[in-house]
Amino acid sequence: MREELGGYVLGALEPDEREAVSAHLGTCHECAAEYARLAGLPTLLRHADGLEIPAAPPAVDERVLDRVAKERGQRPRRGRAGMLALLARPWRWRPGLGRRRATIAAAVAGAALGAGVTAVVLGGDDGGRPAGRYALRLTGAAGASARAQLEPGRGGTEVHLWVKGLPPGAEAVYEVRCERPGWSASAGTFRADARGRAYVVLTTAARIGEYERIRVVRRSDPRDADVMSAEIQ
Amino acid sequence: MPAPTSRPAAEDAVLVDRLRSDETGNAMRALYRLYGGELYGFALNALGDRGAAEEIVQEVFLRAWRHAGRYDPERAAVRTWLYQITRHAIIDARRRAAVRPGLALHEPEGEAPGGASLEQAMLGWQVAAALERLTPEHRQMIRMAQFRGLSMREIAEHTGLPLGTVKSRTWYALRSLRLVLEEMGVVPT
Repeated sequence: MREELGGYVLGALEPDEREAVSAHLGTCHECAAEYARLAGLPTLLRHADGLEIPAAPPAVDERVLDRVAKERGQRPRRGRAGMLALLARPWRWRPGLGRRRATIAAAVAGAALGAGVTAVVLGGDDGGRPAGRYALRLTGAAGASARAQLEPGRGGTEVHLWVKGLPPGAEAVYEVRCERPGWSASAGTFRADARGRAYVVLTTAARIGEYERIRVVRRSDPRDADVMSAEIQ
Repeated sequence: MPAPTSRPAAEDAVLVDRLRSDETGNAMRALYRLYGGELYGFALNALGDRGAAEEIVQEVFLRAWRHAGRYDPERAAVRTWLYQITRHAIIDARRRAAVRPGLALHEPEGEAPGGASLEQAMLGWQVAAALERLTPEHRQMIRMAQFRGLSMREIAEHTGLPLGTVKSRTWYALRSLRLVLEEMGVVPT
């Protein structure tokens, strides 16, 4: 009789079965106690009617970690401090270039990479220290482009990125990387909105001067796909 | 009787405890993997906008990190704590939207911000999460009987299972659900 209790609690028994269980509950203490434990469930279940747990949106945790790194005072995570300490060669700082020369250099690089590049020093001095803010224009082969602003922070770089022209409405996750030959540090990940646009502020432990290129890749298995990049001249 | 998927509440409390000190970010990722989906569902349902819901979830985990030191496992399960943070974040988002009409978010009619129905929704998502932890066979019995309103006999016809199996499976399913809800702190033990 006890196994009838499930259907009884959910109101899913035939009338004669239901009456039999009702009568039994009046005489069997054990079944009555069991019924009391289960009787409240249909009310709770009604609140869950139609609710399906969705998949967690991708990369939100990485965005949280970016914010955490920022609030921590840009302390590195994921062992980036170790990576930075192991830099194989010192960074070669090139004194500030004018817009024209940067553009020419970009055009050359763009021809080789299929990506146009412009970098302009916005602030800081030109005394050979990599301390200024940078504005970069990233363009990719498939019509995607971005404006990036790099700002030095206490423990790395704050990367502001305005992106447009990505495939719209996609679930794709993009990653921003700060690179130099043989070395790369992630600045975090983002997704585009329904119009293929994104504005993100990411923090990386890599400092301005420790990398020569900003690259945006689309994360995918087994290999990430190059979307666009810009060289800091 | 197959037991529901069980994860001691203490394990989640350890994750929260590690949030502040863990520089690898793995505690945060693990916590997000466990709760990101249902909290996103809760926020999406309450706000009706994917972008806004995603922002809420981001905000929730950031607040969790900020306040991890104040989390007391004796007072609430991690899930309950995260739902409360989410509820507050939803109320904040609705308030912001109310003063900026251009950003008006969906709000079911007749609902006061932060009112009873947000509490009910919160309960609903936790029950939905509890259902997810049952075996597929148990979940199927509860869904068919409770949500589709089928009788035990109709379920037997529909699934081709003997009537006795349907009945005993439904009973075990409810017992499992009750245990999971107790474990989650949704109903008292």
